[in-house]
Amino acid sequence: MSHEQTNLLQGTLDLLILKSLIAGERHGLGISRRIQQITGGTFDVKPGSLFPALHRMEEEGWISSSWGESENNRRAKYYRLSKAGLKQLEVETKRWGRITWAIAQALETS
Amino acid sequence: MSLLMKARSLLRNLFLSRRVESDLDQEVHSHLEMLIEENIRAGMPPHQAERAARMELGGVDQVKEQVRDVRTGAFLDSLLQDLRFALRQMRRSPGFALTAVLILALGIAANVIVFGVLQALVLRHLDVPHADRVMTLQPRDGGPFLSYPELRDVRDDNTVFSSVAGVEIQDFGLEANGVTRPFWGYEVSGQYFEVLAIKPILGRLLQRSDDDHPGASDAALLSWPAWKSDFGADPNIVGKTVRLNKHQYTIVGVTPEGFYGTEKFSQPDIFVPMANEASLDGVNWLESRSRKNVFSIVRIKDKVTLPQAQAELNAITARIARQYPKDEEGVAFKLARPGLIGDFLGGPARGFLAGVMGLAGIVLLAACANLGSLFAARTADRAREIAIRMAIGSSRWRILRQFLVEAFVTSIFGGACACGLSWIALTGLAGWHPPTRFPFKFHVLPQPSLILMAFLISVLAGVLFGVMPLRQIFKTDPNDAIKSGGSQSSAGRRWALRDVLLAAQVALCCVTVTAAFVSLRGLGKALTMDLGFNPKNAVRTQFDLSGAGYTGDAADQFQRQLLERVSQIPGVEAAGYANTTPLDFDASVAAVYSQQSTDFRPSNKAFETYYYQVSPGYLTASGTQLLAGRDVSFSDTAKTPPVAIVNQEFARRLFQSEHAVGRYFKNRSGASIQIVGIMADGKHFTLSEDPKAAAFFPISQKADTRTALIVRTQRDTGDMVATIRNLVRDLDLAVPIQESGPWNSQLALSLFPSQVATVALGLFGAFGLLLSITGTFGLASYTVSKRLRELSIRVALGAQAKQVLAAALGRMLILLASGSFVGILVGVAASRVLSAIVYQASAQDPFVLVAVAFTTLLTGSLSVVGPVRRVLHIDPAVLLREQ
Repeated sequence: MSHEQTNLLQGTLDLLILKSLIAGERHGLGISRRIQQITGGTFDVKPGSLFPALHRMEEEGWISSSWGESENNRRAKYYRLSKAGLKQLEVETKRWGRITWAIAQALETS
Repeated sequence: MSLLMKARSLLRNLFLSRRVESDLDQEVHSHLEMLIEENIRAGMPPHQAERAARMELGGVDQVKEQVRDVRTGAFLDSLLQDLRFALRQMRRSPGFALTAVLILALGIAANVIVFGVLQALVLRHLDVPHADRVMTLQPRDGGPFLSYPELRDVRDDNTVFSSVAGVEIQDFGLEANGVTRPFWGYEVSGQYFEVLAIKPILGRLLQRSDDDHPGASDAALLSWPAWKSDFGADPNIVGKTVRLNKHQYTIVGVTPEGFYGTEKFSQPDIFVPMANEASLDGVNWLESRSRKNVFSIVRIKDKVTLPQAQAELNAITARIARQYPKDEEGVAFKLARPGLIGDFLGGPARGFLAGVMGLAGIVLLAACANLGSLFAARTADRAREIAIRMAIGSSRWRILRQFLVEAFVTSIFGGACACGLSWIALTGLAGWHPPTRFPFKFHVLPQPSLILMAFLISVLAGVLFGVMPLRQIFKTDPNDAIKSGGSQSSAGRRWALRDVLLAAQVALCCVTVTAAFVSLRGLGKALTMDLGFNPKNAVRTQFDLSGAGYTGDAADQFQRQLLERVSQIPGVEAAGYANTTPLDFDASVAAVYSQQSTDFRPSNKAFETYYYQVSPGYLTASGTQLLAGRDVSFSDTAKTPPVAIVNQEFARRLFQSEHAVGRYFKNRSGASIQIVGIMADGKHFTLSEDPKAAAFFPISQKADTRTALIVRTQRDTGDMVATIRNLVRDLDLAVPIQESGPWNSQLALSLFPSQVATVALGLFGAFGLLLSITGTFGLASYTVSKRLRELSIRVALGAQAKQVLAAALGRMLILLASGSFVGILVGVAASRVLSAIVYQASAQDPFVLVAVAFTTLLTGSLSVVGPVRRVLHIDPAVLLREQ
């Protein structure tokens, strides 16, 4: 667990959560594991950050939730991307692109 | 984000909170179980799997708390929780809550009441259009009055005022249903209502043509309150006639509601043209430059600045002074805000109210400081609770907010009580009529804006004392606090600011208590003092014969006839009458010149004297002691040489000796007056005044319609009052009796300043005591709480009760003692100021000193009794086990 894992920029966490839901609905642990997977283990989102983010995003209307059965027949809350969430994913992706481009530019300039 | 979504979330979070909560609980728990399963699948033994899962989760409750914090309406929700908690806290310690609310209520009410009075009397303009252009002319020297010719000169010669008017407040006799009763009114000059620019609700106002010349019109205008109460709000009143001082007047209109005349302390019933004053008053003063009896009111033209207006005013008065050097020497007017007789009353009233407002502010600050230390003491007691809340994931901000909410709830309760209190007080004050026949009335009815004011003050107060425990909360280290039960700071070891504040407050309290006792003592003395006359066993009946149309000789005839009839009533020891009596605030002042004077300019006078016109027998009836010479007699007439009885002070000032009988002085018109008698000194205007010069002239040499009949009797005064009333009615039903009753009770207005001072200082003293009790109690309990552990150890090691007490509260006793000592010293010094208001106020009175010392002692003991009990009941075993 390196330091950068905990210091996620807020927009970054939102982006990763939205991205992890693009393939279909997942429960909290599923989202956390998916993020770990797609970032090559760089980001390990702890429940203490994950759940507040999920509830906030749900209130924003980007994701919606429903109770379902997990793979082990356990009741779990599943989150899925809404239309607004899809749009937000585009916005966040563009924004992130701009940021990385700008940072890269800044680093290349000697 | 969509607002609709937000609103839906907010409603759901607030109203379906139980479902939202159980949802969250299930979600977090299912997450935990899944983590455990995952770990087991990874090959961990079950107990290790669970441990690892819990470590990764980081605590179910913490996660839930974090989610709650991001929810829409989280703030509102937790605020509601804080509110409920605060109310629960108050219920749990009702004594504490009640004290806090009471202190705040009193502190806030003091501010709101003073502000209400300030607003009504000083801040609010007259209720007329463009009130900022309306001013009054304030003579630079002397009283607030102008003579009518002066007013006329300003009116006719200026280019800066659109209108200039004069007012004389006058009591009339209004005849209705065969009975004449006193009716207060304004005699106004022609442009009065042009200055005001108000619209009547019925008929018309008075105009220039009504005031053109004496007898120009018989128009009279009713005020709204008089129309409402005396004429039953008759919608057909216009055109009806009334009889004023036996003269017929026609009602032409009614002034609008909310117009109370141009002086804020009185309320006229009727307005009549000033041109008719000679027929109404029985004296013609319209052409007299020496008789100053008119209030002025002017409206400045648009686009004329105050300095321009003042400059032209100066030019006009300079010309008047050149033209009439004898009467108008040094005349000058300045423009002043109207409403309180210009700066004559307005200046002192503004100063006084600003002072009281400052005092009220200090009182509120002191109250806040006290509540702050009370809250700090409670925070110290709740150190463990705070530590536990922090340990289980509450933020410092959250805890602080909860304390602030408690403070706010307390202050809002306090503010609400204060609103009620000040509402009652102001309504009472507005309806209150000072003990006098003059139509004093204070338009200080509470305004809705005062509620806002009270609310603002409460919020401010809440913040002030709510942040006092702030440092404690931020310093709390949960680890340390749980281990040791509250930080063992150096409280009670170092001299802190709050110690000094407490001492200052105790001192302040002593000052107010001293002042209250001094004032009380002075009032007691005033009730038994020597007035120069004896109001006991005397009946005073006052009326003005001009109200029944009498003038000059006719009045004289009536008065003599009345005296004759009264003297025949069985039980009457002596009877006499005068135009007015001492301490009735109606006495005139005249300049006295030495017999050698030839130049009668005001600056050449020897001194000024109060003077009265009295009948033979008045001296005996009033109980005024004649020291030498003779009483006046009916054989002193307008045709015999003028004579006077003067008092000792008069003689001393003119001749440096009391042997003055047979000697002469001159009055303003240059007539020589022979002194035929010397009477004892007495009180003439206020009870606290130094000896003043006074002269009695025979009323038979100069008739006066004003009549104050004094009858000395050994019979029951109540019977005598009724007998005399009937006698006056018998002689002429039209005479409007203004006052009749025992002379004693009619002097109430003279005792009034002392009474007001005593009541006000008593209230301040009581409030000071309350503050000092709570302040001392707060600091003492805080000290004891903070050092409970240390004190327990002392007890455990065998310290005696006395030693523990000395260790715990020794400092408090030093503070109390030094504060009280300084306070009493300052109080004694400050009491000198009181002597201007209260008769013979002196703090060098053993009664006062003992009373103050006793009160202070009692207060001090009362306020430390709780903490002392707590110290004495320390059980080291319990405390050391608990912490």
